[in-house]
Amino acid sequence: MTRSPLQPVIAAIGEVLLGKERAVKLALACLLARGHLLIEDLPGVGKSTLAEALARSFGLGFKRVSFTSDLLPADLTGINVFESASASFRFHPGPLFSEVLLADEINRASPRTQSALLEAMAAGRVSVDGTSHPLPDPFLVIATQNGLDQGGTAPLPESQLDRFLMRLSLGFPERAAEQALLTGAGGHPDTIATGLGPADLRALQQQAAGQHCSAALVDYVLDLLARSRSSGMGGMPLSPRAGLALVAAARAWSLLEGRDHVLPDDVQAVLAPVCEHRLDGGQPRHEPGELSRELGRGVDGLR
Amino acid sequence: MALKTWRNWRGWQGLTLALLAAGLPGLQGGTLAWMTVAMLGLACLKLLEARSLGERRLVALLQLVVAGLLAAQRPELGPTLLQGTATVTALAGLLALELDAGLNARALLSRSLQVALAALPMALLLLVLVPRLDPLVPLPAPEDRVAETGLSADLDPGGIARLAGNDAPAARLAFAAGGPPAPAERYWRVLVHERFDGRRWQRGERSLEANTIPLPPAAGPANQLWLMEPSRFAAVPWDGTSRAPAGGDESLRLHGSGELLLRQAAAERRTYRLAGQERGVSWQQLPPGPVDLAFPAGRQPRLETLGRSWAELPSTEARLAAAESWFRSRPFRYSLSPGALPETAGLDAFLFERQEGFCGHYASAYTALMRAAGVPARVVSGYLGGTWVQPLGGSPFLDVRQSNAHAWSEVWVSGEGWRRVDPTVWAGGGGGAVAGAVAEAAAARTSWWTWSQRQWWGLDVAWSRWWLGFDRAEQENLLQRLLGNRRDWLGALVLLAVGLTLAAGLGLLAVLQRRGGDPARRQLEWALMPLRRGGLEPEPGESLEHFCRRAAAARPELAAGLSELAASYQSLRFAPPGTGGSNSRARLARAAHRLRHNTTLTVRPWMQMCAGSNGSRTIAGPWSSWIEPPPP
Repeated sequence: MTRSPLQPVIAAIGEVLLGKERAVKLALACLLARGHLLIEDLPGVGKSTLAEALARSFGLGFKRVSFTSDLLPADLTGINVFESASASFRFHPGPLFSEVLLADEINRASPRTQSALLEAMAAGRVSVDGTSHPLPDPFLVIATQNGLDQGGTAPLPESQLDRFLMRLSLGFPERAAEQALLTGAGGHPDTIATGLGPADLRALQQQAAGQHCSAALVDYVLDLLARSRSSGMGGMPLSPRAGLALVAAARAWSLLEGRDHVLPDDVQAVLAPVCEHRLDGGQPRHEPGELSRELGRGVDGLR
Repeated sequence: MALKTWRNWRGWQGLTLALLAAGLPGLQGGTLAWMTVAMLGLACLKLLEARSLGERRLVALLQLVVAGLLAAQRPELGPTLLQGTATVTALAGLLALELDAGLNARALLSRSLQVALAALPMALLLLVLVPRLDPLVPLPAPEDRVAETGLSADLDPGGIARLAGNDAPAARLAFAAGGPPAPAERYWRVLVHERFDGRRWQRGERSLEANTIPLPPAAGPANQLWLMEPSRFAAVPWDGTSRAPAGGDESLRLHGSGELLLRQAAAERRTYRLAGQERGVSWQQLPPGPVDLAFPAGRQPRLETLGRSWAELPSTEARLAAAESWFRSRPFRYSLSPGALPETAGLDAFLFERQEGFCGHYASAYTALMRAAGVPARVVSGYLGGTWVQPLGGSPFLDVRQSNAHAWSEVWVSGEGWRRVDPTVWAGGGGGAVAGAVAEAAAARTSWWTWSQRQWWGLDVAWSRWWLGFDRAEQENLLQRLLGNRRDWLGALVLLAVGLTLAAGLGLLAVLQRRGGDPARRQLEWALMPLRRGGLEPEPGESLEHFCRRAAAARPELAAGLSELAASYQSLRFAPPGTGGSNSRARLARAAHRLRHNTTLTVRPWMQMCAGSNGSRTIAGPWSSWIEPPPP
C-alpha cells in the first residue's frame, strides 16, 4: 500500500500526543473533510494538546475559549468598538476568528451561545450589527463536552450534535505511552514543524473532496443509511446530512490511507466516530460504539 | 418513486389476473369451475378497490388460490405451464408489494422463481405421498360439447355422399417400451354396432351397470398410455386384448361387446393406461345373442338372396371363404366419394351396381351378408393405423387422427370366438392397406403446423406419462413397495418427509439467494468458498480487505493470493474507471483461480476433521476489534 502523504504530519503529532495515533488520524480526517470535532472526555487527557498540535502542523492560528454559563455570543464573535480617532465603529474580532478554535466544555454555556457558535460553524461567517464577516478558510472547531451526569450543563440537542462531523474520545493512554509521557519523552506542540501551511491544507481538503467514490461504495453507504432507518434497529435514523458526513469523512480517511479511491474499509473506519452520536442522539449507550457496530454488522461489507 | 412502485406491483397483479383468465376457457363447467371464475372475478374487483397493503396481499392470495383451483382442473402440459407462469407472476407481485423499496422486474422474477423452485421438493413429495383424488367433481359430459371424433353411434354409409378427410387429432398412444405394433395390427376398436334395421347399424344401449365388468387386471405394470381427445362417447379406443395395469383401474369397465368404457364420456382430454396382453380377454368368448343375427327381411333383397345362398355351406369357415372370394372376384374399388346410395336397398345398390365405397360400405354390406348367411356378425368402428411420430424432444407416440377412423366386421366362429374381418382390404386397387395408405399419404404431406403440433405433443405425452400416469394405482404400487404392510407409518412418514422437504426447500432458497449479485461478486464468493468450508468466513459486515488480512494471518501461506484477490477485486469495484485497465476483470479471474487452486491444495476439510474435533479453525476477529469504539 502506498504511504500516505500525510504520514509525516501524523508522526509529528504523534510525538506530542503519545499513543493516540488513531484519534490523531480521525482528527486529521475531520480537518481534511472540513468538519468539526466533538470530543467527549475527561479533563487532562490531551484535548488542547491535540487541537494545538493540529493547528501547528499546518501553521494555523489557535485559540481556546472556556465556555461558561455566563459566556455571551459577543464574547465569541467579537464586537464593534467605537474609535474616537476615526469617529467610527471598528470590528474587533473575537476568538471565533482563528483557524482552530478549542471550545472547552461547550455544554456549560447557555443554549444561546451554543447556537451562535454552531451557526458560525455551519455558515462559515459571522454577522455582527448587520455586517457579515467571513471566518478564516481552514476553520476547525474542536468542542469538548464533559460527562452529561455533571451538574449545571445544557447538553447539546440532537440537531446541533448533527453539525459535528465526528465525535471522539481520546481515553487514557496506554501504559507504555503514559510512561513515555511521564519520563518527559513527549514534545510540546510548539516544536512541531512540518513545513506545511494553510494553503497546503486547503489543497489537501480539495484533494480529499475529490477522492473517487464508486457506485458500489455509494451503494454500501446507502445500504447503511437504509439499515439505520429500518425497523428493528436501535437508535435514531441517520439523516441525509449524516450520509454526506459519512462519505466526506471516508474520503478524507482514504486520502490519509494513501489511496485515490474510497473502500468500504474507509467507511467502516469512520463509521463509529461519524454515526454514533447521530444514532444515540447524544445519550451514549452503556457499550461504546454499540449502535454503529450493530449498524455495520447488518450491512454486507463484501461489496 | 412512489408512483413507479405502485405501477410496479399493480402491473404484476394485472398480468397475473390476465394469465389466470387465459386458463379459464378450457374449464368444463360445474361447481368447481364456477367457483374458480367467481374467485377470479373477486380478485379483479378487489384489485380495483384495494387501498391498504393488507387488501393487496389478499389479491395476491386470491390469485394463488385461483391458480391452485385451475391446476386441480387442468393438469395438461399447456395449462400447467400457464398456471406456473401465473403463480410466479403472482409471487412477483406480492414481492413487489412487500419490498416497495423497489427491485427491478428481473430481480423480482428471479426471486419468485426461486421461491417456486424452493417449493418444488414439497410439491413432488405431496404428489407422491398424499392420496390422489379422482376428478374432483364428476360431471356428465355436456351435450353441447362439439364431438370431435369421426365416429358416430349410427353407421349409415349409404347416406354419405362424400367422406371429408378430417385431420383433427383423435388420440395419442405411447408405449412404455418398444415401438408400435405392425401397421396391419393397429386396429383400435371403439364402438360396436350390433343393431341392424336393414339400412343402418346402430350401437346398442350402453350403461355402466348392465353387462359390464371391471377391466381385468394384468400381472404387470401398464405399458400403454392413451391420451384421448374429448369425445361424445364413454367408449375409448383400445386394442381389444389389453388389461388394466396391475392393481386395477376403477375408471375402466369392459362391456360384453368388447367396448372399453370410461365412467363417463371424456368431455376433457382423458388419459388411461393399459397393460398389453397376448391372450384375449373374456369378451371375445362371450357367445352372440339374437341381436347379432337379427336381419330385417326384405330391406335389401339381392343382398339377402346372396347371403342365403351361402347359408347352405356346411361350416362358418366355408361361408367366410365364400364371401371373401365373392368380394375379391368383383371389381370393388375404394373411394371416399362414392355418392349417396338410394334410400331403399342402398346396400344392394352398393354391392351390385356402384361397387365403390369406403370402409363403412364394406363393413355394413359384409356384416349384413354374414347375418343373411346365418353367421352372427356385427360392425365395429374405431381407428386403423396412426402415424408413429418421433419428436425432437419428449416421448415418441402413435398419432391417431380422425382420418384414421375405420369400420370393420366381427363374426362369431364357434370354438374360436369373435373374429375380426376387414372386408375393406379386399377392395381393388392396393388391396391390403387401403385405409392405411390413406393415412400414410396424409402423413407424408405433413404441414409445418402438424409438425410443430407433433413436437408439442411429444412433450405433452412425456409430461402425461410422468404426471398424469402417476395415478392412484401407481401411487398404491409405490407405497406398497416403500412401506409394505406397515401402513400405520404412512402418516408419520408424510409428516417427517414434509418437514424434511420444507427444510430442503428453505435451504435451497437460502443458497439461491446468496448466489445473487453480479458476476464479480460471484467470482469472489467462488474463490472464498474453500476458505469458508475450512471455517474461515467473513463476519457479518466485514469488508473484503479486512477479511483477507485476517485470513492471511490465519493462513500465512495464502497471504499473497489473498492480498492479490482483494486488490484486484477492489480495483474492479472501487477504483476510478480507467485506472484498473480493461483487463481488471481478467485479473480478478486469475486471482480467484489461483487462490482457489492454492486453497484446495492446502485446506482439506476432511483432513481437518480427521485431525480432531477442533477441525474448524475460526479466527476470532469480532467487529469490536476493527471498528474502534469510543472509550467510555
